Amino acid sequence: MSAKLTNFLLSAVQIMLGSAVLNSRQHIGLQRVSALAETVRSSVGPNKKYKFIQDDTSGESVLVCSCFRIIESLEPTCAVGQLVLETVQAHHKVYRSGSGCLLLLAGAWSRAALDCLHRGISVTNIISFMSEGMDICLDVCKESTVLFEDLAVTGRRTAAPRGVEKTFTEAPQGSRHMQRATKSDDMTPNMSVRRKTKLSRHFCETTLHLDEPDVPGVSHAAEMLSHGCEGSMKLVVEAFQLQSKKNQELRNPMFDISKVMTCVLPGLPEGRACVLHGCVVLLSHEQVSVAHQIKERRLKVAFINGDLTHTYRHLGFKKPPGVQPVSERSVPSGSSKEDEWLEKVVEVFLSLEVNLILTTGLACESLIQTCCRHRILLVERVNSPALRLIANSSGALPVTYPTQLSEHCVGTGVQIFIWTDLSSYGRKPAAAVNISTGGGVGLVTAVITSCVDGKLQALEDQFWACAHRLHHALKDRVLLPGAGATEMLCIHHLQKAAERHSQADADRAQETKTGTAAGLHRGHVLQLMADGLIDYITTVTVNAGRFSAVEARTVVSRQLQNFHRDQIMAGKFSQLALEAEGDASADKTPAARIYDNLSVKQEAWRKALDLVFLVLQTDAEVITGTGRKGEDNLMLL
Amino acid sequence: MSRLVKKSPSVCTDLPLDNADICNKLRLMRELLGSCYGPTGRLKQIHNNIGGRVVTTSSSSVLLPAIASSEPFVNLIRTSILHHVRRFGDCGLFAAIFCLSLVEQAKQSGLRAKAVIRSNEHLASLCTDYLKQGGCGCKVKLDLCSGRDLVALARSVVSSKPACVLTEPECVHISRLAVRAFLLTVPCDTPGSVSLGQTVRVSVEGLPVTHSAVVPGLLVDTAEDVYLSQPCSLPHPLVLFSASLAGDLSELGDGLIEVHPRVDSDSQVLSQLLELGNQVVRDGVKVFVCQKVIHPVLQLYLTSHGVTVVERLGVTLMEPLIQLTGAQPVATLHSAVQPTAYGQVGGLSVRRFGSKTMLHLQACGESAICTIILCHRNETMLNELKVTCQKAEHVLRLALREPSALRGGGCTETHLAAYVRRQSKSEVPALGRGCSQTEYLRAAEAFCRSLESVARSLEHDGGTSTIDPTHAHRWTRPSDVATERRGVGAGCCGCGSLDGRETWTSAEFPPADLLRDASVQPGVLDSFTAKLNALQVAVETANLALDVRYVIRDVN
Repeated sequence: MSAKLTNFLLSAVQIMLGSAVLNSRQHIGLQRVSALAETVRSSVGPNKKYKFIQDDTSGESVLVCSCFRIIESLEPTCAVGQLVLETVQAHHKVYRSGSGCLLLLAGAWSRAALDCLHRGISVTNIISFMSEGMDICLDVCKESTVLFEDLAVTGRRTAAPRGVEKTFTEAPQGSRHMQRATKSDDMTPNMSVRRKTKLSRHFCETTLHLDEPDVPGVSHAAEMLSHGCEGSMKLVVEAFQLQSKKNQELRNPMFDISKVMTCVLPGLPEGRACVLHGCVVLLSHEQVSVAHQIKERRLKVAFINGDLTHTYRHLGFKKPPGVQPVSERSVPSGSSKEDEWLEKVVEVFLSLEVNLILTTGLACESLIQTCCRHRILLVERVNSPALRLIANSSGALPVTYPTQLSEHCVGTGVQIFIWTDLSSYGRKPAAAVNISTGGGVGLVTAVITSCVDGKLQALEDQFWACAHRLHHALKDRVLLPGAGATEMLCIHHLQKAAERHSQADADRAQETKTGTAAGLHRGHVLQLMADGLIDYITTVTVNAGRFSAVEARTVVSRQLQNFHRDQIMAGKFSQLALEAEGDASADKTPAARIYDNLSVKQEAWRKALDLVFLVLQTDAEVITGTGRKGEDNLMLL
Repeated sequence: MSRLVKKSPSVCTDLPLDNADICNKLRLMRELLGSCYGPTGRLKQIHNNIGGRVVTTSSSSVLLPAIASSEPFVNLIRTSILHHVRRFGDCGLFAAIFCLSLVEQAKQSGLRAKAVIRSNEHLASLCTDYLKQGGCGCKVKLDLCSGRDLVALARSVVSSKPACVLTEPECVHISRLAVRAFLLTVPCDTPGSVSLGQTVRVSVEGLPVTHSAVVPGLLVDTAEDVYLSQPCSLPHPLVLFSASLAGDLSELGDGLIEVHPRVDSDSQVLSQLLELGNQVVRDGVKVFVCQKVIHPVLQLYLTSHGVTVVERLGVTLMEPLIQLTGAQPVATLHSAVQPTAYGQVGGLSVRRFGSKTMLHLQACGESAICTIILCHRNETMLNELKVTCQKAEHVLRLALREPSALRGGGCTETHLAAYVRRQSKSEVPALGRGCSQTEYLRAAEAFCRSLESVARSLEHDGGTSTIDPTHAHRWTRPSDVATERRGVGAGCCGCGSLDGRETWTSAEFPPADLLRDASVQPGVLDSFTAKLNALQVAVETANLALDVRYVIRDVN
């Protein structure tokens, strides 16, 4: 073969300007985005159904629940699919929820863009009008926010008994809260009345937390953010309360999710899930016996960043390739290098009198055994941020090699507690052990349990989604009315703007007879964007399970027709998706109002539109490397 | 026994421009690059055929390397444009489209190649002479004292890349940052020859664009729990290693080493490292930076002695750090560090951007090093934003050398075409036997059409481009009439300095100085130096392409 030949193929998403007029009206990229979005349609909203995704080639299957896991498991291979996946992953990494909203809206707005192309609206105009629509929506979001404290205080006041409330009003800071509370009560007259009768379950919860002034009603606000994952949110609130016990910031309670870990335990009923200080690790049989011997004592502890094997070298260390040992006589085989190393390491541990060793990597079997004999508990595969936090709080310095350990690297005051004996057989872990530093650093671990193996991932995802929602709510300090209320308001504003533009244009056309189509087109685009949001709301309503698609659409359009601005404040408007949902759980839990995160929603919308813009503006796909022959729609350069 | 394979003879293509296949490929390339041109240009998704990463872009610096062709003739043109892009950073698409349409027009005109080449050479020099003149109608003087012109120049670059997906305020923000970063790289009071500093780009995914910022000094990636030495005495002495301090024997190369089994080479290297650490601590160094890995034992030793340690700096940050601190990189660990090798750091702090923790190193005194932190919502757009900012910086630097700009938005091209038409009609140069007078006139027409076709390439929504007779600027009438130009008000010419209210008068050329009041600055500006060079590269490349008689390929 001669020099590397690189061919260039051009696929027919849309070939070139000359022939583009026809092709551009059926933009393949946008169609693909729309098709991908369809795959998650039934999983959008709080009522999710589990789905099996089966790999035909390997026969493996996974149980998925969230939209993110669906799109991730589907592994889209086409260029547009990769762009979609990249966008969703970027969103998921930061927010852990809202991926469904992002995808569904990207799909709906892709269809809107396709429709615009059909009408002959130019790409430049579609982009500028849609950006305008997005600005309208973001403005609506900004205007309809509710202060987090208001919610928290309202929740507490209505739930708290009269006597407590009175003492509260006498306190100087309480009076400020009260003013706020009454203010919000003015806006929501129906709500507070209803909650008084219905929120009996929170009654005891909130009164309980009144003893801790640092979490004013957060649990109540969290309830409204749970989006159908009450169990997970309960864990999150527990984690928050454990964390904030030490954190004395009353004004701005924060939820530091970087100090929250999860530990999944299969085989236990879901009710065993709980939150503990410190971290939780799973131990084998021999280790458990050591753990029993040293439990609940203040221990000396050493931290190792890396593996505990004699061959381990730190990252970036290159073994010289050509080293050859030469010697006159063969080395006595009795003491191998490994034994020497083992002896040295154990000696270090014993001389420092450590009882507990945590390592981020693996440890060799013989070392674990030897440590057990010396009543030293060696725990492998500790999450490295957790290791760092525990090390910090116990005054230790994590090192890379055990031989580096010295007196000042060793920490004290760490305790271990046996959380549960799993009493299983074979190589399975025998016990879950809680390693705690007394909560000084705010490291907490949520233990997530389930009898069904496949469900653990979904439960863990739910926990993180809830944790991030609470984290962002406390960070933003504001929330949006949920259950479709914000979207409804956006639709209303978009439609109003659309009408205004069409109307203005009609007037101008009458005057001059040569009115531009600008207003008309702008109206179309805004209307189509509103339709995208309507599609989203109806999908969520349908998924909630009470209405069929047609009914849901009717309900939405009826709501829109009888729309008054004050309705949203009166709390009637938002109950749309809730009504449907409340059905199933009406007998047990009263229908609390639902709230959404401001930042999550804004980012999801914006990313959805980014995706549509990127794909809309793309007119060709360049494939490098030697091409496959026989595809008619490819052009070769 | 070795097998002999008969060498297959070379393949020779006669008159490549008469080859239909090659012509098709050239046309395809022109359409492909033409569709990317300008602020409303279309994007391309580039990926390899085995499912690699997808890059979405419309910028020539990413696109041109990707579209390598199987045809050497096409690659000839591609690489010569690519060299221009690497050198000047901007106007790559202009050069490519102009060059390809020159070749196409020359072919269509049916003129002899020699005549076209002669004429093109003459016409190109006519254009460059005109552009260099003081009274040139498409040149704008840049006022380097005011930020406005620089921001306008940067903005034209930033807004011409639709794959960044920026809103109007975001676009302005990024342009301002680009200018601020550029100004920070201009040293203030250095006597003698001035050398510009460097801008380091750091990208953070997931934050809004408006969180992007410029900071003087350097930001380097660091571990979450970096140890900061106490700010007892500023400035901090700093030592910089370019050698690996991982404790391995990587410096020895590939040879075979024979070692006695009792010799522990690792611990010997480590003791050497610790000795080095000891010396550095004795010399009062507070910041210890290594391009590569540092052995954890040495790290622990240094931090326990109050030294801030940064490892894995990477080769790209070495040069800026040397400039910032004045340190000499130490390339070996086997000898003591010379006292002259130490540099100094003026300030040290930890900054967090999204998920990134970074160490902020500031210079002791004046320094021309700055860091621009670019944030965007996803990686695709962030990558394009990075390329765009680099381009803007390049363009601003070129403006420093020649403080002028050309009217953007296609107005320079149409204006030049009008100028060339007029000049070629009024005076026909004697081009010798190679080119007759009629041939010259027809070649000039082809040249003008090529220039105009570049201007037309800016329109992608099916609108019609027109040229006014007074100033020869470019105007667009959109196909769906609904177009309202973003930024520039409705009914402006391409560069935004004229609006449609004027009545056109006859074609006086060169037109009288059209903008006497300085307030009407064009909104869209192109880099003067880059465009001038692009014009020359395009013409030279086209001439070379027209001159190729045979393509001979060794297919073995």
